[in-house]
Amino acid sequence: MNPCYYACYIVYKVIVYDIIFYPPVYQFLIIPGLITAIIIAIFIIWFERKAAAYVQMRYGPWEIAPKIGGAIQLLADLTRYAMQEIITPQTVDTLQYLLAPIVMVVLALLPLEAVPLTSVKPYFPIPSGYSLLVAVAFTTLSPLFITMMGWASNNKFSITGSVRESFMITSYELISVLGLLTAAAMTRSYDLVKIVNLQMSGKWLGLINPIALFVVFIAVLMSTSGFPFEIPESESELVAGPFTEYSGLLYGLNMGGAYIRRWVFSILITLVFLGGWAPYRPTPGVITGYFVPSLIVSLKAVVIMGIMSFLRSVYGRYRLDQALGIAWEILIPLALLAFGIGLTEAYFGII
Amino acid sequence: MDGGVKGLISLQDMIKEALGNNIIKIEDNKGYMDVVVPLEKLKESAIKVKQLGFDHVKSVTAVDYIQKKQFMVTYHISSYLNEELSRHVLGLSTFIDRDNPHIPSLATIWTSAEFQEREVYEFFGIIFDGHPDLRLLLLTPVVAALKPLRKDFVVKEDSINIEVDYAAYNATKWW
Amino acid sequence: MEAGTISSGSGIHLPGMEIAKASKNRYEVMIGPAHPGSGHMRIFVEVDGDIMVKVDPDIGFVHRTMEKLAEGREWIQNIPLFERIAILDACNITLPYVRAVEKLLGIEAPERARYLRTLLCEINRVASHLYGMGIFGVFLGHSTLYMWGFGDREVFIDLAERLTGARLTHTYPVFGGVRRDIPDDFPEDARKATRYMRKRLNEYAKIFLNNPNIRSRLENVGVLTKNQAAELGLVGPNIRASGIRYDVRLNEPYEAYGDVDFEIPVFEEGDSLARAWARVEEVRQSLNIIDQVVTWLEKHPRENFMHEKFWKTAPKLYKDVYEGKISYSPKYRIKLMPIFASLKVPPGKSFARVEAGRGEIVYYVESNGDIFPYRVRVVSPSFRNVIAFKYVMPGHRLMDLPAIYGSFDYFPPAFDR
Repeated sequence: MNPCYYACYIVYKVIVYDIIFYPPVYQFLIIPGLITAIIIAIFIIWFERKAAAYVQMRYGPWEIAPKIGGAIQLLADLTRYAMQEIITPQTVDTLQYLLAPIVMVVLALLPLEAVPLTSVKPYFPIPSGYSLLVAVAFTTLSPLFITMMGWASNNKFSITGSVRESFMITSYELISVLGLLTAAAMTRSYDLVKIVNLQMSGKWLGLINPIALFVVFIAVLMSTSGFPFEIPESESELVAGPFTEYSGLLYGLNMGGAYIRRWVFSILITLVFLGGWAPYRPTPGVITGYFVPSLIVSLKAVVIMGIMSFLRSVYGRYRLDQALGIAWEILIPLALLAFGIGLTEAYFGII
Repeated sequence: MDGGVKGLISLQDMIKEALGNNIIKIEDNKGYMDVVVPLEKLKESAIKVKQLGFDHVKSVTAVDYIQKKQFMVTYHISSYLNEELSRHVLGLSTFIDRDNPHIPSLATIWTSAEFQEREVYEFFGIIFDGHPDLRLLLLTPVVAALKPLRKDFVVKEDSINIEVDYAAYNATKWW
Repeated sequence: MEAGTISSGSGIHLPGMEIAKASKNRYEVMIGPAHPGSGHMRIFVEVDGDIMVKVDPDIGFVHRTMEKLAEGREWIQNIPLFERIAILDACNITLPYVRAVEKLLGIEAPERARYLRTLLCEINRVASHLYGMGIFGVFLGHSTLYMWGFGDREVFIDLAERLTGARLTHTYPVFGGVRRDIPDDFPEDARKATRYMRKRLNEYAKIFLNNPNIRSRLENVGVLTKNQAAELGLVGPNIRASGIRYDVRLNEPYEAYGDVDFEIPVFEEGDSLARAWARVEEVRQSLNIIDQVVTWLEKHPRENFMHEKFWKTAPKLYKDVYEGKISYSPKYRIKLMPIFASLKVPPGKSFARVEAGRGEIVYYVESNGDIFPYRVRVVSPSFRNVIAFKYVMPGHRLMDLPAIYGSFDYFPPAFDR
């Protein structure tokens, strides 16, 4: 009995401490990684449809589980996409066509590897000295593959959609990078742990410098096809933009990929502007030091995503040159202004 | 409706004065004032009518009189910008030969006639000389070659013999 | 676009295929029939960068050969046929046909029938405008307006069902009058509907017409000047938004429009936003007309709504049904008279026009004394608006195409007939 008991204990320790709660694996796959991203995407898409339906005088998802308001509607949709045949047309470039959505989703989750979700030292995925800069740099990788998707599809509507996406990339990236790095200006370091620790006493950066939060919020909307900037995949003009030729699980990946990118941006916004795990001080230990702070960060990020989803029922779609005009003429001066305010506040020692 | 009748009488006088001896017949049909002009004088009558203030064409109609071997083409014209004339509709008609149907196009005078003349071209086979862009509008070339709205095009009804119908359908299929 | 001397290297050639030389720097986008944003028509667009250079509408996908069919059916059978031109607006579309044949027959409908026809015309006009605004919302990506437009339209479809017995395919005006009278509890429901719709119009203004996002999309897009609109011969709220004061109800009053008072909203700017506002204001005026007509119908006693010439040939059963003496049939309705089958109309030519929801519809009817019409020519409002694609759109960006398309309120089955 003793060696059997000892073997089970070893297996338990390995699985829990070295696989599940090993920070790179935990953050990429569990919370706030792939599994959480999928669950949150399911919940947020349902919430978006339900909120829009209540504004529009109808029920929304209702048939599947009427007693809980159709909450598992998205599971049915996901099962449908998983069972559908993936048809590859003959005229596409096969390798790029099949790889682009997969690489897009994987790279979309990459910034999660770079952010620390707690202040307890053993649970950092990478040394946290430059974590903000690394995370912001990783967020810029994924949209390039939307352009690749459109080019590989060999279809006029896809090419038009991906060209529009490439126009949008040039405009929103500068804004989001400047906005997120305002935190570095205010706190004089790129270390996310230090940024969150400075917000512990209730001085959230979003409250002190609301312009930066506003600017980053709109930049995230532009980047992830949220209304009113849903331009690359505008349904009534280009059938589905770069995603036209996809069917089956690849289509599900494309549609969910936008929500996954929004989720990752929301985590970044939470850590930088909304205090991260703020009212809670992590103590050493797996549960209290890692699991609970990650849950708190996830909850705050869900609130931000809910606000973004609600805008769907109010706004139409902007024209491409109007969206670029807004980015370059209004938002970039505002982002520079926010940066300036941040520097001023740092000089006067407000934070 | 006194003002209406007075308006119509003065409209008739106005037309008679403008077109002079181009008119073959002028009568007040039910709902519009019909003016028949010979084929050669169609274009100059149209220009004179436009100068009176009639600025758009409501409909271009062709009627097939198969016993008399004629087509009658009528332009129903009215006015938007002129308050008084917008209450009346003028019908400018002409008769053309059924075996050689050519008629000068009025699309260069009134732009609103452009698409309607294309429709009359494809349904009746009437060729509008001088039309800027005469091609088919609603039908496919295979069907338009049959000139559907003429009276000698009889719509074939299905018979009881399904084999005969299917053979006829296969013979006209082009794909 | 004729077949030129182009080397037919590879590629199949089917009969009827047109070969055209492609020009440099022009990108051809075909917004085709199977597209979420095009309706049942195809639009060939040649784009230079982002600016549209040549727009060519290719219509005819829903052509149902109505003019040829009308020559093989009897006079009364053509009324349900012509309804399907634009089924949303059924009373407005068949009314000029009925009026043209009544002119040939030499009769005029009694007064109560005229007010009843006006009532259904206005209900259909409101429903048609709400449908148009809904589709406009879809084109701009604004799903809330789409759902609100269609949801509020249900109120008026319900009213029409109470009046005629069918939601969309009314077949209500017949030669000599109408087929039914209003039920007893109709006036309060009509007033409730108009009160509700007036409140909702303010919500529409808040979420759509004054929404800064939509305003920037629609202002100064697709500008149509007054002379251009008159030259192209467009119809409906499109020209009333460009400053032309033309409405058939005003210029040549028919039915009861001479006795009710209403206004025609006219705007000066001529862009897409003005066209949307013109429709909303027209809905408001229609609600006023419905209120006035319902008050008139309530006050005046229920008298005959079918012309005497036809009514005196009706058998006794019809008169019993009309007065409600038959237990299983609702009151105040007239079944189809036997005299309408094989009705012979005296020879002649006539012409009638009516203002439908989308614009002015004209009919030219010719008869040679037979039981079938000799020629019926119908020009629907959307058919006269097609020419705007070719002349208004070039010069705008490709993303403006849905904004202009939706603001003209096309209905492809209407122009294909």
